[in-house]
Amino acid sequence: MLRIRKIGGALLGAIILLTAACGNGAFAGETHQVVIERFEFVPATITIRAGDAIEFVNRDIAPHTATEVEGEWDTTELAKGQASRLEFAAAGTSDYFCAFHPHMKGKVIVTPQ
Amino acid sequence: MFNTLKIAAAAAVVAGSFIAPAVAEDKMNDLEIAHTAYTAGNLDIRYAHLALALSEDASVREFASTMIRDHSAVNDEAVALITKLKVTPQDNGLSQALVKGAAEKRAEFVKLSGKAFDCAYAKNELGYHQIVNQTVEGKFIPEATVAPLKDLLKSALVTFKAHEKHAENMVKGLNCGA
Ligand SMILES: [Cu+2]
Repeated sequence: MLRIRKIGGALLGAIILLTAACGNGAFAGETHQVVIERFEFVPATITIRAGDAIEFVNRDIAPHTATEVEGEWDTTELAKGQASRLEFAAAGTSDYFCAFHPHMKGKVIVTPQ
Repeated sequence: MFNTLKIAAAAAVVAGSFIAPAVAEDKMNDLEIAHTAYTAGNLDIRYAHLALALSEDASVREFASTMIRDHSAVNDEAVALITKLKVTPQDNGLSQALVKGAAEKRAEFVKLSGKAFDCAYAKNELGYHQIVNQTVEGKFIPEATVAPLKDLLKSALVTFKAHEKHAENMVKGLNCGA
């Protein structure tokens, strides 16, 4: 079973989907990458610090998503070669899956700063 | 191990008609392989449209949407490759058998509704992906000679294998019984 563990319920609401306009220095964290390849999230579990971002990149022909199990965050559809960058502001752990291929699962662990 | 006769027999089951073993035993050229792979994807898209028209089950509808999305993406790549290589895929006995078999299946499916439709669709998707995957893995990939076609077939196989697993889960979830 998929389960979600939230810390104070604050984690997920605090995630900000950055727009293309960002990148002018306002972001102080580190950007990590999760590659979607051969129907797997690589790495399947990633540990980052609060304030860091993850860029999800799809290298498959088939479109995928990275969608938090309760829908709290979502890259939405990523076609081949597309990427989506999500910033994780607060500590906590969340499980996610691909909305199109539900057996594809991953986990983001956000440690306090 | 892979055995062309087995594929011929299996393809005949899917096609709902007998295919002379010679069809599957004969080596296929790149243009025939491209044609059949493309056809198999298109047929699955047609099944999926039928499912979206007839099913009210969320898991079936989600699966069908994924089939349309993924097989369209794979076939778009195939069209891009064909266009780049300036070649025309070649119709062949296996493509024709698949088309004929799928038309017969669709004729059966349109008479069904509710759970009967869902189960028939789900089981057919599982069987269809099993056969297509055996054929792509055991015949198309080894017989293809053009590198980009071989590579596309390998990527497609990863996709279709994910579909097979997904179909397996869908069949289980529907509790259709044996
Ligand atoms: Cu996916």
